[in-house]
Amino acid sequence: MSNGAGHRQKHSTSRELSRRRLLELGLASAAASPLLLRAGRASAQSGTGGAQPTVTKTPTGELKNPAELKAPKTKASAPTTISFWQYVGFHVDAQKFIAEEYKKRHDPNLTLEITAYPGLNEQRVGVKSAFAAQSATPDIVAVEPGAYAVDVYTSGSVLDFTKVFAEDPEYKRGFWPNALELLTINGAIVSVPAVTNTVIVYYNRGIFQQHGLEVPNTLDELKKIGAALSAKGIMPIAYPAGQDRNFPIFPYYTYVGGIKADKLMREADLGLKPWTSPELVAGAEFVEMMAKSGLYAKGPLGIKEPDAIQIFATGKSAMFWGGQWMRRSIRAALPPNFDLAIFPFPAVVPGGHKSVLSSVGITLTVNARSKYPDLAFEMIKALTGPWGKIEYTRNLGLSPNGPISADAIAYQMQSLKDPLYPEFLKLQPTGTTRVIFTPAVEEAMTQGMQAIITGQKTPKAVMESVEAASQKVGARKFRTG
Amino acid sequence: MSAAARRRWRRNLTGYAFAGPALIVLAAFLLYPVAYSVSLSFHEWDGYTPRWGPFVGFENYRALAADEVFWRATWNSIVFVVVRTPLEVGFGFLLALLLNHRLALRSLLRTFFFVPVVMSLIVVTIIFQRVFEPNTGLLNTFLRVIGLGDWAHPWLGDPATALPAVIAVSVWKNVGFSLVILLAGLQGLPQDVIEAARVDGANAWQLTLRVITPLMRPILALTALLSIIGGLKVFDLVFIMTRGGPTYSTEVLATMLYREAFELNHMGIASAVAVILVALVLSIARVQTYVLDESPEGGKA
Repeated sequence: MSNGAGHRQKHSTSRELSRRRLLELGLASAAASPLLLRAGRASAQSGTGGAQPTVTKTPTGELKNPAELKAPKTKASAPTTISFWQYVGFHVDAQKFIAEEYKKRHDPNLTLEITAYPGLNEQRVGVKSAFAAQSATPDIVAVEPGAYAVDVYTSGSVLDFTKVFAEDPEYKRGFWPNALELLTINGAIVSVPAVTNTVIVYYNRGIFQQHGLEVPNTLDELKKIGAALSAKGIMPIAYPAGQDRNFPIFPYYTYVGGIKADKLMREADLGLKPWTSPELVAGAEFVEMMAKSGLYAKGPLGIKEPDAIQIFATGKSAMFWGGQWMRRSIRAALPPNFDLAIFPFPAVVPGGHKSVLSSVGITLTVNARSKYPDLAFEMIKALTGPWGKIEYTRNLGLSPNGPISADAIAYQMQSLKDPLYPEFLKLQPTGTTRVIFTPAVEEAMTQGMQAIITGQKTPKAVMESVEAASQKVGARKFRTG
Repeated sequence: MSAAARRRWRRNLTGYAFAGPALIVLAAFLLYPVAYSVSLSFHEWDGYTPRWGPFVGFENYRALAADEVFWRATWNSIVFVVVRTPLEVGFGFLLALLLNHRLALRSLLRTFFFVPVVMSLIVVTIIFQRVFEPNTGLLNTFLRVIGLGDWAHPWLGDPATALPAVIAVSVWKNVGFSLVILLAGLQGLPQDVIEAARVDGANAWQLTLRVITPLMRPILALTALLSIIGGLKVFDLVFIMTRGGPTYSTEVLATMLYREAFELNHMGIASAVAVILVALVLSIARVQTYVLDESPEGGKA
């Protein structure tokens, strides 16, 4: 984001907008939306996300969801309950709301029973046990893109969407192409995303302004900001690398995305290219440079998300490197006068582009042994289709799984008071996927990045160990995209 | 069948009838899973397909023997037990000796030391994650306040200190359990022996070292056994606090088992780890039982 853009953001998002300005924005967005949608589809080829029209709030009156909750092709002939096992507790309300509306409007016999496991690990263990026992429950399964999706599909445990998309091509067009590409295994789309997510840098605009700092565009600028903040006794970036096994890899993904080596990384993941190629080793060197740069709050591997949020919310750090999914937790922790803003991580190489880590969040698929596969697919269509995606993301403030109209955004902003939401939507087109499909490679990457951050191994040694893990897996039994 | 044999058979049948339900439960929920796990350790299986993969003999065990993470996890499990058990039993015994006296607030202190045992492990780990947080954590803040800021450290983020930090939490959480068992043991000691030692002129130190400690040996051994088994099985504490990291520095056998089974889909290897873990626990239990049998109360002396 340029300095100018940062300035624009200040005026357009974080402060109350005048009625006139809202009207202008709404009209401009509505006029621009068809063009932007086309642009979004095109740009989505290079990232998980895509462009969304720009709009902030409703100009006048009470708006309604502009999309239609379409009638299903199949309905339950008698009272039927389908089960859904997922792992993100804060999604439940949104899912319940959509399922209830679907029941009310189209299928009074159908009830969705949602089991929200406390986390991915617990849900994955439960799902694995159910599949091994050839259970018909759950009917709908939430899976993470990457290894989880590969495991459930290649074991024959879930159905793919080939038939569903063939019958309803419009439904397929509602998703960002790259999001679906990420979920395409052995030529079939095995699950569909409920939302998309980005990883960005949250920053405390108050601290930036107080110390005369501008949003950085390049790595050098970021380093200068870090030095200036450290000199004032403020930690530059709270980075919760201890949160899970994915966080330590974020800097690596950022670099790879920044030099547009995503495809190379994917090929290495699939065992088709070596992890020791110069570009991929350079990613590990970037991780090392960042760890030694003094930009992170001390001991990132000992910091979890709640700790990092606390550090950031109390003004002890000026920036927070985290995901869009943490927006609510961050907001909840902030004092009322906190001026929260976001920017994409600066370009990692001179003249390079700003890489925004992006991924589909929770994705939905159907148990191959479900007694009601058609009803399950219809429910997934309700949750992720044109009407559902608007309600889903209105509830959560996460980015939609595909393009939505300016009217839809205006409708969402009626209840979604967060001015950062449109900012996140703007960042979608530059998304770099942060998914590794091969479990052993992901494990080697996690451990390797930890070893680099703690100074135990050199970047080259780490990438050699990742390559060794990749070779040990041998030829993959799957292909992606 | 003679009348005596019939009577014996009827008596035995009654015994089996009473023990039957317990035996069925034991067989269904203990023996069968153990046998299943042992059998699975000789197969390949990803955990998703209904049928196991091919029989691979000792391949899973050979893979473990060649895996440095397995040796790291084994070593960490041993360190965990070797460091935790003496601390837990030692502190527990000291506190039990202290609380065995007629102190003011004795009941309150006993409750105070027992509270961590009944606290939810999740709550404990979340509290200690905050305590050990490198920048704003309680421990480092305290060190800075008392002028020892140089000692401030990313306790859970540094491979050198992550395992000791986790062990410290484990000791804090479990010392109350040892205390309660040992206190009950102390209160059940034959008072005539202790009085006789006092009459013979033994001071407090001699009384503790020469009389009470030998008498407490079976209870100390039992407490140590429970601590060792608990230490070898430790999973939740490590998994929540560090997930075995950073760089496997806190990986123990149970977390490795989980990782192999549910993250890497190597159910056969995970079962092999489980078999090794059970074998370790059983061997230690056997050694400990032998020590107990050698004790004055054990019958062999």
